[in-house]
Formats: sequence, C-alpha cells, structure tokens
Amino acid sequence: MSSNSQFLLKTLFLLFIFPLVNARSIKSTLHKTTELDESLTYLWPLPSQFTFGNDTLTVDPNLSIVFTGNVGGSVIVKEAFERYKKIIFKHGSKSGDFFDVTQLTVIVHSDNDELQLGVDESYSLLVTKSNEHSIIGEVSIEANSIYGALRGLETMSQLCIFDYGVKTVQIHKAPWFIQDKPRFAYRGLLLDTSRHYLPIEIIKQIIESMSYTKLNVLHWHIIDEESFPLEVPSYPNLWKGSYTKWERYTVEDAYEIVDFAKMRGINVMAEVDVPGHAESWGAGYPDLWPSPSCKEPLDVSKNYTFDVIAGILADMRKIFPFEFFHLGGDEVNTTCWTTTPHIKQWLQDHNMTSKDAYEYFVLRAQEIAISHNWTPVNWEETFNTFPSKLNPQTVVHNWLRGGVCQEAVAKGFRCIYSNQGFWYLDHLDVPWDKVYYTEPLEGIKSISEQKLLLGGEACMWGETADASDVQQTIWPRAAAVAERLWSDKEATSSTNTTSAALQRLEYFRCLLTRRGVPAAPVTNFYARRPPLGPGSCYEQ
Amino acid sequence: MGKLGAQSILFAVIVQILVISAAANIKNLRIWPMPLSVSYGHRTLQLSNDFVLKTEGSKYTDASGILKEGFSRLLDVVKVSHVVDANFSYVGPSPVLKAIQVVVLSPSDELQYGVDESYNLTIPAHGNPAYAHLTAKTVYGALHGLQTFSQVCHFNFTTRTIEVHQVPWTIVDRPRFSYRGLLIDTSRHYLPLPVILKVIDSMAYAKLNVLHWHIVDTQSFPLEIPSYPKLWNGAYSSSERYTVADAAEIVRYARRRGINVLAELDIPGHAQSWGNGYPSLWPSKDCQQPLDISNDFTFKVIDGILSDFSKIFKYRFVHLGGDEVDTSCWTLTPRIRKWLKQNKLNGTTAYEYFVLRAQKIALSHGYEIINWEETFNNFGNKLSPKTIVHNWLGGGVAQQVTAAGLRCIVSNQDKWYLDHIDTTWQDFYSNEPLTNITNPKQQRLVIGGEVCMWGEHIDGSNIETTIWPRAAAAAERLWTAYDNLAKNPSQVTRRLAHFRCLLNQRGVASGPLTGGGRAAPEDPGSCYQQ
Repeated sequence: MSSNSQFLLKTLFLLFIFPLVNARSIKSTLHKTTELDESLTYLWPLPSQFTFGNDTLTVDPNLSIVFTGNVGGSVIVKEAFERYKKIIFKHGSKSGDFFDVTQLTVIVHSDNDELQLGVDESYSLLVTKSNEHSIIGEVSIEANSIYGALRGLETMSQLCIFDYGVKTVQIHKAPWFIQDKPRFAYRGLLLDTSRHYLPIEIIKQIIESMSYTKLNVLHWHIIDEESFPLEVPSYPNLWKGSYTKWERYTVEDAYEIVDFAKMRGINVMAEVDVPGHAESWGAGYPDLWPSPSCKEPLDVSKNYTFDVIAGILADMRKIFPFEFFHLGGDEVNTTCWTTTPHIKQWLQDHNMTSKDAYEYFVLRAQEIAISHNWTPVNWEETFNTFPSKLNPQTVVHNWLRGGVCQEAVAKGFRCIYSNQGFWYLDHLDVPWDKVYYTEPLEGIKSISEQKLLLGGEACMWGETADASDVQQTIWPRAAAVAERLWSDKEATSSTNTTSAALQRLEYFRCLLTRRGVPAAPVTNFYARRPPLGPGSCYEQ
Repeated sequence: MGKLGAQSILFAVIVQILVISAAANIKNLRIWPMPLSVSYGHRTLQLSNDFVLKTEGSKYTDASGILKEGFSRLLDVVKVSHVVDANFSYVGPSPVLKAIQVVVLSPSDELQYGVDESYNLTIPAHGNPAYAHLTAKTVYGALHGLQTFSQVCHFNFTTRTIEVHQVPWTIVDRPRFSYRGLLIDTSRHYLPLPVILKVIDSMAYAKLNVLHWHIVDTQSFPLEIPSYPKLWNGAYSSSERYTVADAAEIVRYARRRGINVLAELDIPGHAQSWGNGYPSLWPSKDCQQPLDISNDFTFKVIDGILSDFSKIFKYRFVHLGGDEVDTSCWTLTPRIRKWLKQNKLNGTTAYEYFVLRAQKIALSHGYEIINWEETFNNFGNKLSPKTIVHNWLGGGVAQQVTAAGLRCIVSNQDKWYLDHIDTTWQDFYSNEPLTNITNPKQQRLVIGGEVCMWGEHIDGSNIETTIWPRAAAAAERLWTAYDNLAKNPSQVTRRLAHFRCLLNQRGVASGPLTGGGRAAPEDPGSCYQQ
C-alpha cells in the first residue's frame, strides 16, 4: 500500500498504539457453561494491525450510515450496509434507549467501482465513544476503494455482539482502531458445477459466505467431462451436455452470479478446462470427440475444435469481466489422439508427438484467450511439461504438490497456490491445522519472486459435493485458507498460536452458523462430519 | 363445501370428462405431496411478468398480510432457480396467466389445531387473459394452494420466462391428518435463529404444519424464562440462547406459514440443565436428574415456565415429555427417599404423581397435554383424558392408545426418527400411522404423526441434509389420501427426487435419495438421479 498521509484515521492510529495482545489459551468453565477466552481477538481473518481498549459500547438498532469523502454513497456500500444491519440486529433490540453508537461514517476516496485483481482492499476502522473532543466519533470506516469499505464493514459486523443479558448489540473492548489490508491479492475458492449442478441460490449462499472471510475470487469450474451446464449462444447445442434440461445456467444466470459476487467485492474467474476435461462438449457436437468410442481429449486435429473454443470464449468475455481466465490443461491423457486413425494421421502429417500436440493445443487456446484480452491461467501440468513455451503472461495454478510455485516464480511466471495435500477441500481427511499452517511462500526467498505469488485458492471439487453438503465441506476449512491468505504471516504462523487459532476458528465457525451458513465442526477427523456428541458450538 | 355448490358441480363434470385419478397418472405429476384429487391437461400457460394476486370475493381481509406475503414468497420461489427476463414481451401460442384469484371464505386468521387446510385450485387452459382460481376456507388452506401452484410453475429455457405446465388443472386437496410434525432439538445443540427459520420455510414446502420444539433437555436450557431468569444459565454459553423475543419471532414466522409451534418441557427425566440456575431442583449435586419431586419449588418453577410459555406459544397443546424417567436419584437421595416413604410412593408411583401434577398445571394454563408414550404405558388410565400420547418406542402403540380412547401422535423410532440415519426414505414413506387400526372411531383418534430430528449429532451444519428428503416422504404419508399413496415407494422415487431437487433450487440442503440420512452423493451425476 502506498503512503496515504491524508488518511485521517491512519494519522489517528499513530496516537493510539496499544500493544498487541498475547494469545492465551485457557478455556475456563463455570459449571458447564462455555466461556470465551477474552484475551483473544475474535476477528476472522485477523486484521494486520489493531488496538483496543476496555469500554463496552451499545449500538443503536437504527444505526445510520453517513458518507463523506469523494464518494457520495455507492450503491455497493449502501446495499452491503443493509445486509450487515440484518446480520447484526437479527435478534431485535430494545430501541428508544440511549446508545453509544448511532451512526457509521464511511469515507471512500475513489468512486471507481471496477473490480480487478489488486484492487485496493485496505481500510481503517475506528470505533470509539463519541464525545465533543473527538474529531471523528462513533464508528468510522475509511478506505481508498469501495471494496476496502466492504472489508471494513465485515470487520465491524464481527465486532458487534448481541448481549443476551441487556438485549442490546454491543461492541466490547472499545475503542478499537484497526488498520487492515490483505497479504495476497488473490484469495480464491473453486466451485465445480460439472460433477454436480449447484443451483443459483446455493452459489449465492456460498458467495455471501465467502465475503464473511474476505475471500475475493470465485473460481467457477463450470464445465468438465461429466456435464456442460452453461449456455453458450454461439454454440447452442453445447449445453445439451448438461445432466438434464433443468440443470443448466443461462447467460443471464451467469451475469447474475457475476453481479451478485461483485456486490460483495468478489471476482468470478471462469474456467474452460481444455483439452482433457471436456467430454461433455461432444453431447451437442460429437465432432469434438476424437471418435464416438474415444471421447477425450477434444479433437486436436480439427480447426473446428478451436472455432468452438473461440466461440465459447467470445461469449464468456461478455459475461466475465475479470482479467483472468482459466484454461485448465490438467490431466491430459492423449491416448485417444494416438489411437484414433484420423488424428494419428494428422499427428504424423504435422510431425508431432502426442506431447507436442498437448503443447500445441494449450498454446493455441492461450492465444485465443489473449486475443480476448484475458490473462490465461493454466493448471501446473502445462508448466511442468513445456514451461519455456508458455506465454509469459500465464498464471500457473499449482495443485499436484508443493514446490511448484517456487519453480514457476523462479522462471518469472505468476503463480496461484492450491497444493492438493492441503487446500483441496474434497480431501476430507486434511485437518484444519494442516490447512491453516500451509505457507504459499514456502521456499520463495527473493522479494521479486514473492510478488509473483499472487495468492492461493481452496478447491471444492464436486464429485461428492452437491447442494446438500457443499457448504459444510467448504466451511470451516476454507476459512483457515482465508486467514492464511489475508493476515500477516507473523501473527498467524508460529505453532504456539495453535490453540488460540483453534479457539478463534471455532468461534468463527459458530459465527457462520449463526448467520445461517452450514459450517461443520472444526476438529472432526473427517471434514463435513456431524458433531460427535451434544455440546456447545464453541467447543466443537 | 356448501359454499362451493356451483363450482363443485362444475368440478364434478370436469373430473368425469377427464377421468383422472392421481394414482393412475402419478407418473407425469411433479407435485409433492400428492393432492387428494388432480386433473390436468397438456397445454401450457405463460405466467405474466406482472402476475398479480386478486382477492375480490374473499371474506378474509388479510389485515395482517399473511396472504400477501405468501403470494410474494410464491413469486420468489418460482423465480429463484433462474433469472427471468423481465422485459420479455411474449408473443407466442400460449395464453398469458394474468392473476391468481384467491377467495378465502373465513375472515379469521386464527391458526389452531384442526384449522381447515383444504383448498381448490383451478388453472384454465384458455382465457384472454387467463386467471387461476384458488378457493379455501381459511388463509392457511390458501397458503397450501399457493405451494401447490409453485410446483406446477417451470422455467422455460428458451423464452426465459415462467410457464405453467399441464393446464388445465383442477386440484381438490385437503390433508389426511391434521397433525403433521417435525421435531427439532435445541438442547443437544443450539440451533441459531436463521437456521430454525429456514427449517420452517422448508416445512411449508412439504405442507408440514407443526414444529415440535424440544427446547430444553439434560444438556442445555437455552430459552429465557422471565419468571425464573436464572434458568437459561443452563445454556451452553452466554450466546447459545433464545430470548423471549426470539421465541415469539419463531412462533410468528411459523404461523405466517401456517405452521404451529408445539413447545416441549420434558419432565421430569430430561431436565438436568434446569439446576444450573436453580440447584435445588436437583435431587442432589451428584444426582441431578429427574427433577426433585419432593420439593414444591419444582412445581412452582414448572408453573412459572408454563405461565411464560402461555404468553408465547398459542398452540392448543404443550408437550410435557415424561419419557425415559430413571427414578434412582429419587430413591438414592435420602431426603427424597424419606419423602417417598411419607407419601407412600415408590419410584413408579412417584413418576405417575409427577406427571399428573404437571398435567394439572398445564391444564390450568389452558393447555391440552401431549406426553411421550411411557406415561401411557405405565399409567394410561390415570392420564387426563385430554392427553395426547406421543408414540416413539415402537409400532403398535397407537392401536393400544386409541383403544383406550386417547388421542395419539405416531413417531415410532424405527421409521420416523431422523437421527437414525440408516433409515431410508422408503421406510419413512411406508410407515402407516393407522396400521392395524380398523375401527373408524379409533382411526380418528390418531391425529397424525411426526418425524423427529434429535440433536445429538445435529447442529447448524447438517440439520437440513439430515431432515430432507426423508421428512418429505413422511409428509406425503401424512398429507395424501390413503388411496393415492404409492403401495410401493419405488413408484414415487422420481417424483420425490424432483421435490428434492426443487428444495435444492430453493436453497435447502436436501440430501440425495440414495443412502440414508445426510449421505453424500457417491459419484458425479444428476440431482434427479441421486
């Protein structure tokens, strides 16, 4: 972040400087009532800098929002404010009393609502009792962009606790001064709508929950060999590859998802996984199969294959404004190419091995994406197989093992970390702490190479995840990824923070369920399993 | 049906012309639960972009907005699956359905046990513009009609609009049983408010009408009781609680969807958590359950709770539990043993004394009582005749209860306990509440049934997928006329799969049909096949 000394809140921050709290890990119990360790900071992900005090402030259920600064009140921020009011005041509150906090002031310096990788997500949040001496009283959020303001609203909502005794929403440990920014620009979650169709409403629920953890990219693995659910106007038979005629997304549905995500500061990165995961394309256009008995990868020998890809990408470009587009390129088994006579012939004519043909396919697809002003993202096999041929703009998406991003950035490529041993959510036996302590920058020493590591992504592959269990498989482990990607490494990395992190994550998982998100218990041996027995949410 | 004379005659004629019975055409229907009588055609109507609710002719004024809100939810659920083209100007062969004309005959919006839930729904094939007609005795019948209407609406992927398929429709519908319940348990795990409200929404989709709220148990006491404010000290934590306002909101939210809330206070055997706030309710510190029978304070507290309940829970019934009472703490605690001796009671008779005394308190607050079946099994002839016996242990109990002249709710655990995750939807579907009850008078005493979502392994993360779709299978058993029920569940697999996918589209995490409860899909595949 560049220096913004005009930032009023930031200047104020220098006047505060409380020491950061040391994590203590004592869970005291009176009778059998679960009590929280009050020394911990129950904000998830942990902000980069914060101080707090000892005051308790009450918050008016009729909390109002006031905009100052360059932006007269963006719709995106206003709608977010209304969403958070519903979350914060869902228990109802006594009104008519005196409240310490009646107003939220939002200062946003730019009215540009373009959402791209690296958009400024930093914000400052001040919570203090208002009095005649303070320059800015009550609650204020200051940010360069409206998306930073959204992050600040989320943090503010986590400070607001309904007190069941006095039946009022309170902010404890005020005054708060929080200055926050993400560690990585790319913080993703993959959803797979090919193995199981996910209804729009479920996708929206997931996007909404992503915003609670400040994740900012929905990687939409739309299509795979099992089904082709998306409408492509240029090739209208493609979605004949959907499971049923009801398990489809129209172009308008896709726009709706992109728009819904943008309102929450989340980009949607679409994926078309070629040539290896594309069997379903041929349901509408059988010519794309090498042969009716050998259906994958897409037929490399036909120009028609690339015409279809170009058509899909042209249509998708109108829907997906994000600068990245994922072209897949993983797990390409070229047997169908070498065993189908007309393709075998074509390979011979062009003097290509199947490996050459794989490279040829990926590079030709990359060119199409680039011609649409997209930055191509490819799974790591492309990098592992022909690194020197990849377009230098390519973002390498790691998945097979550790160390790949290290190699990719050493060669000057940008990289997204998704090591399957830790960040594949469909691996149900990876416990929360393995997810949490995975370090994307492992082994990457030089600052310039570190900058090429854009971030990481938790992948929710859909073989055994449908509308009924996808959310409890995502949460809470994706939240562990989210904190790793957002928060400062120093504050979240030493293993003596484990017990504190666990208590904070248990708390956050309860926060998710309190917001209606089906997040599973944290410490179960297998993800998405039921709680082992009766008990408090905060201990499960 | 007196008021509907002319319409009924017309209806009878239509039925004769089309000769449709639900059983014969079950294969092409997508409605869950299956209505009493259905006739349909093969035409399609276009749902107008400004489809409206008309209520001329209703005696019901809808001052509280229950119908209006129900209509607005109808529009939401039919549009939830895909983006509808709002600017689409339709020029096609299908007539446009402009409005639904809802006539509600009763001005009252009181929701009570036995409220008339019947409705008649007709959707014509022609008309310029065409109007759907929904007639019901009460607004709650009308809400059921709107649910059915939502299930004949489909998104058209070509026109991007909502269509009503298979018109003309004539549906005459009413429930077979007036009590169709789902139990939730907020003591073993606290269920956050939004989770409960979402469960209520999904119940309405399946026409279930009683949320049995098992609020308190051994493990925790989450509800605020103003008369005894320390009781919710028994909550798991300071935030795993419901305020009176929360409970009132749950009741209000449910009522506006035609669902009553049955509150349960499970005494004396499942009440250990009470003593966190008032330790004198425990027999002793080391022996904390059942509630101390020898202490008048115990019954004062029960009276206070039920008095507070009566301000929130307006349903005619309150559930007083009474199951699984292990009286050893009474016979082992010297003070209580002495008291038993003085009153010439043993463990069993003391149990009876407790239950009957609690029943009297509930009656004094205007409640009729529901008790778990152990009370009947032990001292059935002593129970208040107003008692409804809630079966759970096994089959055959309803037969005995009704033979004794008492009313019964069926929840035999081998078929209708949702926490038994190896019980399949087919088992849920096939469980017949009137098994071996042939006498019509006795049959009428079975007021319905309930599926029970006990919470030992259930929290906000998995409750929906453990409830659905199996609860839907039971919902059809309880709603649909016996003759329309499939004799072999496999006949309804496709229709139930469709309903399961409908739940998913509406954002409800209903599990696949394959496997038991909350099973993950085993492989990739279509929702409609899993």
